[in-house]
Amino acid sequence: MDPQPRKLNSHAIVLIALHVLLLVYSLCGFFSKNASRQPFMSFEFCAFYAGMLAILVVYAIGWQQILKRLPLTVAFANKAITVVWGIVWGAVFFQEPITPPMIAGAAIVMAGIVLFSIADGEERRAEDAGGEG
Amino acid sequence: MEMILYSGIYLVGVFVAAVSQVMLKKAAQKDHGSAVREYLNPLVMFAYILFFLTTLLTIYAYKVIPISLGPILEATSYIYITFFGVTIFKEKLGWKKAIALVLIIVGIVVYSFGIS
Repeated sequence: MDPQPRKLNSHAIVLIALHVLLLVYSLCGFFSKNASRQPFMSFEFCAFYAGMLAILVVYAIGWQQILKRLPLTVAFANKAITVVWGIVWGAVFFQEPITPPMIAGAAIVMAGIVLFSIADGEERRAEDAGGEG
Repeated sequence: MEMILYSGIYLVGVFVAAVSQVMLKKAAQKDHGSAVREYLNPLVMFAYILFFLTTLLTIYAYKVIPISLGPILEATSYIYITFFGVTIFKEKLGWKKAIALVLIIVGIVVYSFGIS
């Protein structure tokens, strides 16, 4: 038997929870896309639309809880992962092709989101410290 | 051509969602007296109606655009939020943020070349 596993620190648990939440949130696109393929206000349309709204409600509640435990900046930087999930769901559920420019473009967009979040964090810290900038 | 039009519809949705976020932030800065009034006031209710409408715009756009393009176009929200931050909330725009926004725009353009 291995020695007792070390306790995961709470920061790691919140990060994992955040990524589970973002995974669920990314499925919003799955429901929207399916709804878009149904006649407007048909039963199927309403069912997919209700699924989408349910995910948004769960996401809103979960996001608030995450923000209580994690800096806003870290949460927003990690949100960039939804770009990857969008590509994955497109390929898995809708047989959308994945091309080199898509991967390159997605990587550049994600770099932009992460840089934006880092810059935002620095600006907030500077404001809190009463410094300039 | 159709792809550009429906991408535009999605982008309008993202923009309107950003407007609703600004309205919620404005409402949050006011003292409404009671917890109920924090939610049941015209500004907040209008913001939620706007947000509700954006979900319908999104579905309409998905009639044509691939599901993977959604999160990419959603990244433009950082541009709108920054614009409102600078113009309405008098926040400063640092050079790092400016570079980040350029990266997002360049990324969207590069991505669009990959869509068949």
